[in-house]
Amino acid sequence: MSPLPDAILEVSGLARLHGPGCGRCVAATGPEAGTNVCTNCGTVVACADIGFELMRGEVLGVIGESGSGKSSLVRLLHGDDTPTRGAVRFRDPAQPDAVVDLLALDARQARRLRNTRFGIVYQNPHLGLNFAVSAGGNIAERLLMSGEKRYARIRSRVAELLSRAEVPASRMDELPGRFSGGMQQRVQIARALATDPALLFLDEMTTGLDVSVQARILDLILELQHQLGVSMIAVTHDLGVIRMLASRTLVMKTGRIVESGLTDQILEDPQHAYTQQLVASAL
Amino acid sequence: MSTAHRSAGYAFGFLDDRAKKELRRAMLKAVSIPGYQVPYASREMPIARGFGTGGLQLTLALIGPADTLKVIDQGADDSVNAVNLRQFIELTCPGTRTTKRTAAATLIQTRHRIPEHPLRADQILVLQVPYPDPLVVVEPSEERRKTMHGEADYARLWVKLYEDMVHFDEITFSHRYPTRIAGHYVIDPSPIPRWDVPKLHRAECLYLFGAGREKKIYAVPPHTDAEPLTFDDVPFRVEDFTDPATGRRRACSRCGATDSFLDEFVDDLGRKTHQCSDTDHCLARLDARATAVAAAFAA
Repeated sequence: MSPLPDAILEVSGLARLHGPGCGRCVAATGPEAGTNVCTNCGTVVACADIGFELMRGEVLGVIGESGSGKSSLVRLLHGDDTPTRGAVRFRDPAQPDAVVDLLALDARQARRLRNTRFGIVYQNPHLGLNFAVSAGGNIAERLLMSGEKRYARIRSRVAELLSRAEVPASRMDELPGRFSGGMQQRVQIARALATDPALLFLDEMTTGLDVSVQARILDLILELQHQLGVSMIAVTHDLGVIRMLASRTLVMKTGRIVESGLTDQILEDPQHAYTQQLVASAL
Repeated sequence: MSTAHRSAGYAFGFLDDRAKKELRRAMLKAVSIPGYQVPYASREMPIARGFGTGGLQLTLALIGPADTLKVIDQGADDSVNAVNLRQFIELTCPGTRTTKRTAAATLIQTRHRIPEHPLRADQILVLQVPYPDPLVVVEPSEERRKTMHGEADYARLWVKLYEDMVHFDEITFSHRYPTRIAGHYVIDPSPIPRWDVPKLHRAECLYLFGAGREKKIYAVPPHTDAEPLTFDDVPFRVEDFTDPATGRRRACSRCGATDSFLDEFVDDLGRKTHQCSDTDHCLARLDARATAVAAAFAA
């Protein structure tokens, strides 16, 4: 099956199992079973039967409680982890005729694609940034990975990216450890956007920030999304973030997608019992 | 003296045949994959690790009775590391000749310098290497470094160059300058000064690098590209020997050379003095001058 013309990412049958696996793992786990540990062999099913499409310029929310497999999903899509089975097809808007099967790439090709066409913002800046290198150096790394070797060009691009993320360019040569948590996230965003990626992963990007900083970071993301038209997958357990960012949302529980649809619909009229519980407990 | 050693049970070249075979195989692999660090079982040698055991093992596996060997320590033939290694090879390789003249040598083992005079196709230069992996400054895990080398993923090394430019306005590697070989692997060319790095590029001779403690062998074969890492708009520079007082390039205080790598030292009167680091280069120039003077007197 080829992706829809406007789909940038098509995921089907994606699963990641940690453990020996016994053939009954997927059937023995899931929302009905109420667990993601196989009762037969003890395998942990981080996620299974994951299928969805991401359209060009769309922000897709992924919501669920801790351990529901949201972060596992992002790790699989970003190439930090290898799925047990499934397919991920990527259609780069810059090359709409070429559909790339992400799981068929060798390590070098996958890294190249990840470095140039994807971006990721982690919850913990320590995962996304090197704290021994200046803020500008962290962004320069992405530019260098994509093959930019002109120093003056790197400097001007870093300054431009930081000011777009509302970090004063005058502080580009400071270590990220001297920045506030909100500014560290902004540096991560600037780094993620350095190569004009087609797809951005936001993994619990605003968790742990205070509310006013959260709001400003979300504003920034929305603004950039409108300006650049980059597709995003935003993983969070915060319904407010989903409401603000995502047009469409997947609800995950015990490694499965239990409900998907328009964000407003999911928040106003949740169908699945778990989603109802989730929405009720937040409001 | 050599017979005493032979009677004591040492084979020619000290190493046993199996060790030499393994070393030669590793060297062949290193030449076949320019810049790739080939692991090998570094033998215990009768000198301490860190005193050139890697280079010594390569030399002993390469040398034959027809060879003429030169040993260099920081450009000089008569400093302690060179003297010890040369004597050891003289003892354990009976029949081979040693020389101090670069042009007369077929095999040269060196510590931290490449001779000034370009080497020929029939010469091999063996360099002693303390730290073979240029990525060690940015990645502590060897497993991950191997993946990075395999994928030619050197972005973090470039970030180091970027940070240098930000903080010091220049790249601060004074020696061990990371150099890309044949467009893929980046090597640590051993602690040679920047001055010597361009000599690796498309040379006539074979360069072999041996790290005894770290158990790695790598090579820059003849006519192979060797590009020091730098930015497109920040040209690679070698050491600048301009005297800020006169604005002219400093010369060797013995032979007057203005085209060689100079060592700075303080003379008996407390003055800063500069001299050729490559003693053979210096002596050859002095000899040539003496010959010319003698010829002038004779005429």
